[in-house]
Amino acid sequence: MSPEPPIGKPELFYEEEEIAHARQVRGVLDYRSERLPTWCPGCGYFGVETALFDTLHELKIPAKDTVVVSGIGCVGRFPFFMKCYGIHALHGRALPVATGAKLVRPELTVFAMVGDGDGLGIGAGHFPHAARRNPDLTCILFDNNIYGLTKGQTSPTTPHLQVTNSHPYGNPDNPLNAVLMALVYGATFVARGWAGRPKDLQLLIAEAVKHRGFSFIHFLSPCVTFDKVNLLYSNLEQQTQPLPKRHDYTNLEQAIARARDPELFVGLFYRTERPTYADQMHSYGERGEKS
Amino acid sequence: MRKIDLTVEICGSAGDGTLAAGEILTTTLAFQGFHVLSFDSYPAEIRGFGKCVAHVRVSDQPVHSLSGTVDILISLDDSYSIQQLPTLQPEAVVLFDNQPLAPVLEEDQCIAGHLGPGMILYGAPFHELSQQATASGRSRNLVALGAFAALFEMNLEKFLESLRQKFKRKPRVVDEVAAAFNAGVDYVAGNVLKLDEFSFRRDQESETAAYELLTGNEAAARGAIDAGCKLYAGYPITPTTKIMEILSEELPRHGGIVAQVEDEISAIGMVSGAAAVGVRAMTGTSGPGLCLMTEFIGWDIMAEVPVVIIDSQRGGPATGLPTKTEQSDLYMALFAGNGDAPRIVVAPTNAGECHYWVAEALYLAEKFQVPVIILMDLFLSNRNENVILKPVPQEKLRANLFPTPEELAKGYLRQALSERGVSPRTLPGTENGYWVISGLEQDIYGTPVYDAKNHTNMTEKRFTKLKTALAEDIPPATRFGCEGKADLGVMSWGSTTGAAIEAVERAAAEGRKVAGLKQLVLNPFHREPVARFLDDCKQVLVPELNRGGQFAHWMGMHFSREFLRMNQVTARPITHTEIYNEIRKVLEQKP
Repeated sequence: MSPEPPIGKPELFYEEEEIAHARQVRGVLDYRSERLPTWCPGCGYFGVETALFDTLHELKIPAKDTVVVSGIGCVGRFPFFMKCYGIHALHGRALPVATGAKLVRPELTVFAMVGDGDGLGIGAGHFPHAARRNPDLTCILFDNNIYGLTKGQTSPTTPHLQVTNSHPYGNPDNPLNAVLMALVYGATFVARGWAGRPKDLQLLIAEAVKHRGFSFIHFLSPCVTFDKVNLLYSNLEQQTQPLPKRHDYTNLEQAIARARDPELFVGLFYRTERPTYADQMHSYGERGEKS
Repeated sequence: MRKIDLTVEICGSAGDGTLAAGEILTTTLAFQGFHVLSFDSYPAEIRGFGKCVAHVRVSDQPVHSLSGTVDILISLDDSYSIQQLPTLQPEAVVLFDNQPLAPVLEEDQCIAGHLGPGMILYGAPFHELSQQATASGRSRNLVALGAFAALFEMNLEKFLESLRQKFKRKPRVVDEVAAAFNAGVDYVAGNVLKLDEFSFRRDQESETAAYELLTGNEAAARGAIDAGCKLYAGYPITPTTKIMEILSEELPRHGGIVAQVEDEISAIGMVSGAAAVGVRAMTGTSGPGLCLMTEFIGWDIMAEVPVVIIDSQRGGPATGLPTKTEQSDLYMALFAGNGDAPRIVVAPTNAGECHYWVAEALYLAEKFQVPVIILMDLFLSNRNENVILKPVPQEKLRANLFPTPEELAKGYLRQALSERGVSPRTLPGTENGYWVISGLEQDIYGTPVYDAKNHTNMTEKRFTKLKTALAEDIPPATRFGCEGKADLGVMSWGSTTGAAIEAVERAAAEGRKVAGLKQLVLNPFHREPVARFLDDCKQVLVPELNRGGQFAHWMGMHFSREFLRMNQVTARPITHTEIYNEIRKVLEQKP
């Protein structure tokens, strides 16, 4: 039993304790900027932020060596809420920018934060090439099945026939399957997490950061403001389930089969090793000198 | 000794080895100590059809442009060469294959029937000699060169030296081509009586030994290396691909990387990412690629990221004329993008300047945290000329001024306002130097804000740094031709400038009051020298390779002045003869 708080400042007492815990135990304040996130209350993106801070702290990656690149959309604002080096790039272009940064400064830890419209719509052309080049960076695709920042239009992952502001008679297009795409494009680390399980997500992010190569995390997160029918916490709670214990994440065929399964599996689908983009590019110099 | 200023043209069909022969001839003439400027004209298709022409201008004086007239024509395909006849001088010499593989059925298909009365024709069986020497007709271009070398008294040793250089990766071929070459030499020695007076005999070594033979693309690539460029990302596009190919081989030896990426957006994206974290980075493209890069140019201006973009212009719009030259991307280079987006635009005028200004652009971009666009064109990219490269000054290899750790500990603002318009910069890896850069308008604390005062201040800052660049680094336009008041001034930019210089100097040497102005940096530029030039000239002529008069317009935006325009969309470079003729025409039409 904790003692009764002194009269007049109970909240303050509570906050100080939380802050001390966040600072010392979780290191959150090492990575948080003074700007408060502009996401809606209840948005799943807060969970990624916390998971990312905790991961960086645990892996002892200092803020000064962290570069977070983002595109446009709600997730685009991610770097503003972090204390690190942030590049808020153009719509869809986080992957080339992140690849360029990592290529010339391999000692940095680089993240590319992309959205579903951002990474699978306007910037989809960069996705296969990032995957096949295998730059050593972590790409998190924040998928809420909707365009949030422009207030509720159809995105490339919005389900077929769903009614949105831009498709009042239903979405005529089939949705894309981001995990399946990453697998067939040749990503060396492919996982899926969701906003309702932030602790699991943190484990995935930690594995992704440790992985040498292009790590792709498909992160499902409800848009609490503009999607009242599809990607809800309650729906995802029922639809998602962990990959079976017997899932072999070294087996690409199995991973592809599970990615195509109507069940929405979460966890690590696939992991393999391949020389990174920088490994190959930097070895050209040695080869060049020999010839 | 008689002054030499001759143009040799080799004309054939795609697949005849026309351009290879032109390259070997150019190299040999340069080895012999001549000043050369050569340029090829070729179709966009690799094989099958299309006329290929190699132009080589040779002189014992420095040359800056093509002459537009031909003194010696080597015909590898008469049906195409006949089309070249209007450019031949009255006393031109023509060398042709008098026993081609495809027999000439009608008289008018053979060039022999088309020559003017003062012209001299030499024939040699190129194809037959090639077959005798190499058991194949493929080396008829070399036979032609051998005949040419013998006829015009060239140094045969230097010829063989350039053959070895050209085929250094295929040593087995060297003997074969040398045999074909010698067959041409021997044939002329035994069968041809020289009737003309042209000669490329060169008895003493000249000062051009210090020169290098480079294309604009090669020079630009060297500039990137010399200035410490560490990443070049690009997507293949004529005529800039060669820069990427050269750097792919060379940059890794200098600690750099070349990334061939999926499109031009990715190219400038990678370059922007690399530049943002602190290395010198650049990309190169042509007009269609610059279209795709446009959004990123604006982003680089907003986020203050130092990138360098080469746009080697070709005929447009759209895919346009991929293998033909034009100067029609000036508007795009100056204005492309949304919003008020000031950037530096430079247009080098020859290969030496391509080298120097790529290096300088990397320096300026870094110093002022702004994109620099370098406007080359297909003519400049591909033409071969002998140049002496200016070394890149040591102090230009570093332009960043980083805050000290003590200053950083007191608080650091990436977007701080300053008198020079340049904010202090830090790079990832620096303690307490955190920043977020963005395409959104940010306040000095880095937070996106949309208020009037901040947007006004920040816009002003982006313009101010160009003013600072002007005051601190950018050279003024330079004048050439006659001194003092002039009846006619010629203003030009980019690769047309060489032709303007030669035309104006020729007119001035004849006593005409004609002056010219050479402007290398097109934005920002010093007003005063241009204003003074405009005041000095009764009329001003602006020759350029576009229909709209883009440079004349750009000047017209700054000075209230009527410009006489000389616009060509002929898909080939303007020659000094054409500008000279235009100068005479304007001067003779007294207003």
